[in-house]
Amino acid sequence: MSSRHVRRGTGVLGALGLAALACFQDPVSTAQCPAFCPGGRLTVVESLLATSIQRDSSFQGYVSAHQSLLLLASDEQGVDSRPIFEAPPIATRVLIDTGTDTTTGPIVVDSMKLTLFVLRRSAAFRNLRLAVYQLPLGIDSTSTLAGLAPAFAGAPLRVVNLDSLLAAPGLRDSVTGDTVLKVDSLHNVVTVRIKFSAAQALFSAPDSGKLALGVRVSADSLASIALGSSRLTQGPTITWFARVDSAGTIVQPESLPHAFPDSQLRGVRFNSFVFTTPPLTLDSNLTIGAVPSTRTLLRIGLPRVLRDSAQIIRAILQLVPTGSAPVAMPDSVFVQVRRVTTDLGAKSPAASDTFVANSPPFRGAPTDTVRIEMTTLFRLWQADTTSATAVYLSLLSADSLLLRGFEGASFSTVRFYSSRSAAFRPSILLTFVPRLKFGAP
Amino acid sequence: MVPRRPHALLLALVVGAAFPVRGQDSPFGIQGLGMPGRFESARARATGGAFAAFDPYSVLSEASLSGLGRLTATATGAASYLTDEIGGLSDSRRGSRFPLFQVGGPAWSHIVLAAGFSTYLDRTYHVIVRDTITLGGGSQAITDDLSGDGGVTDIRFVAARRFGRLAVGGGLHLLAGSSRFLFVRTFADTSAYGQASQAGEVAYRGSGLSASAILSVGRHLQIAALWRSDSRLRSEEDGATVAKNDLPSSFGGSVLWQPAPEATLAVSVSRRAWATAVDSNAYNTTSWSAGAELGRRVPLRVGVRGGDLPFGPGGRAPREVAFAFGTGRTFAGGRGIIDVALERLRRTGAGLTETGWTALLSVAVRP
Repeated sequence: MSSRHVRRGTGVLGALGLAALACFQDPVSTAQCPAFCPGGRLTVVESLLATSIQRDSSFQGYVSAHQSLLLLASDEQGVDSRPIFEAPPIATRVLIDTGTDTTTGPIVVDSMKLTLFVLRRSAAFRNLRLAVYQLPLGIDSTSTLAGLAPAFAGAPLRVVNLDSLLAAPGLRDSVTGDTVLKVDSLHNVVTVRIKFSAAQALFSAPDSGKLALGVRVSADSLASIALGSSRLTQGPTITWFARVDSAGTIVQPESLPHAFPDSQLRGVRFNSFVFTTPPLTLDSNLTIGAVPSTRTLLRIGLPRVLRDSAQIIRAILQLVPTGSAPVAMPDSVFVQVRRVTTDLGAKSPAASDTFVANSPPFRGAPTDTVRIEMTTLFRLWQADTTSATAVYLSLLSADSLLLRGFEGASFSTVRFYSSRSAAFRPSILLTFVPRLKFGAP
Repeated sequence: MVPRRPHALLLALVVGAAFPVRGQDSPFGIQGLGMPGRFESARARATGGAFAAFDPYSVLSEASLSGLGRLTATATGAASYLTDEIGGLSDSRRGSRFPLFQVGGPAWSHIVLAAGFSTYLDRTYHVIVRDTITLGGGSQAITDDLSGDGGVTDIRFVAARRFGRLAVGGGLHLLAGSSRFLFVRTFADTSAYGQASQAGEVAYRGSGLSASAILSVGRHLQIAALWRSDSRLRSEEDGATVAKNDLPSSFGGSVLWQPAPEATLAVSVSRRAWATAVDSNAYNTTSWSAGAELGRRVPLRVGVRGGDLPFGPGGRAPREVAFAFGTGRTFAGGRGIIDVALERLRRTGAGLTETGWTALLSVAVRP
């Protein structure tokens, strides 16, 4: 290779090296503001939208007892609530033989076991007792405590002291046969199975084993719990244990040619709760909670300048409680804000999406301003200017088993001042960044 | 037969120029319209810019194009390593750009036409600011990440002709370009406040005229005179005008003396009226340069330049001084030229001292 080629190659390599050096970017400068910073910087504005909430109203009758995910049992704060449920029929006769012999034999009930999921068990309970009553068949969503009062006035079929059962060795009462099947301390759920003897089970062959029961709770203190419902897939279950009358001989079903099981497990056809509570009348304030649930509809006027160009970085709804809640149960509850898809007043359909805002959970009546972070909702309204800027406020139970709260699962009610109260009206504390004008030096 | 290598070089040069490569210029331009670009090739820059008025590969003077004997394409790339120091704090940064590209050649009747683009104003910056603001009744620590990327490009169309000892030229300049801005504010308390960010793209429009002349006095002396006037720079965001800024008129002169075939000396001075460009902290600038080129085959070029910067806080124009050297080489029988330069610069003003190195590479292809 000649020296000319070497020189030429060296030159080309040098040029390529310089070109490679040119392809990088790391342009961070020492920041000394305002002298050496851009003239326009992001400005954060904190503004109280004191009058942006208008035409706010409360409406009753959204989630009723039979739609609730929990069966409320309470004898506290003037609230008397009793879960009721009705089991479907069972097979009352079984085939004795095989082949063409269709002879059947009636079952002879030995016992029945009722399984309940007890929620909201508190360490403050003292002698929590569950009394199980037989109710007339045919209960439904129109049943009331007054209508069922005669049934509850009689002697209960069984009374179980849950505290005693939890303290029993092996979590089992060897005399009555009652058992605590599971204690879920994570979700605060106790699964209890109550045994009914043949006499207590009140099996009715003419009714095909259909059975309606009611539960009344009592305690030395804090008699307020909830039972799981079938809508939560943790409703009451009834297991019938029976043998078969085969031409006068009582045999085990498993011994028959068809080897029928000796037990029949049934869920419930219907479950709900009947109750009496202090009267809840709506007034000029905003009321949420109770059963059937009461909601408040808030209509929020978003200033045009915010809707169009500002960037919202935080929005907080501020609600001032009146301090006079009609019912303040010991349940843990929180306020949820859910947008409506269209504003039709009381019949506005709530959006079933994840754009919801929740307050911190609380018990009883809040004593301080309730603040709810609504940033995602406001950003949604900015992005979709056709969305109705109205929201439902509702009071949800904060049971850990439910993961997210549900409406109509607490008798608690909360009242907030409305826009008709000039001094304490609901407001929005908005933090936003106005649109910056780029380009100007 | 036309050599193949120059075509390949030309293609690589054009493709390279088409890619957007971001750069960062001085903090002194952040609050003004930006940092003015330099219209010099690596050859002229190696002499401190003193040769630019006579250099057909630079885009400062139109009259110098009259020396183009054939179709020529030229491009320049620059890479900078800069360090800012203020109040005991220092930070380093790097940047690169392709600030110059031009194609020109003889047309008819000894008229030379050329077109190209160069950086007129560089508005690229990236600043990170940490601060504390009062929010929600308490103090909130914030971090602002402020960046701008882009600038104003000077697209020029030039005609030049030599009349004996006098070469004259004129140019039409269209100013175009855009900057993308992204301002991000991050709060230390991310659980309470989301990140705020705003982005925008600003387009620039403007125009200008320029003229220049080079007079040869005897065999060894040339005198150049330059004039340029630009209109207002219109900044538009989303189709709406957000700012109008006066652009400067400028004039200057250069003298080149060649006492021997292998020795050339030049000096130049120029004046640009930036003071009315923005409301405050803008200044008229005077710049000067002096340089020499020694040797012919692989010449040694050295130069020095200095002057004012048009924008900066403090009520007084920041100062700039730079020393440069470089060389160049002709390839393929004169069809390819590579020039390199290395410059050491220092800028001072309002307590900020900026120092750094800039490496430049120019490639000219004459197929």
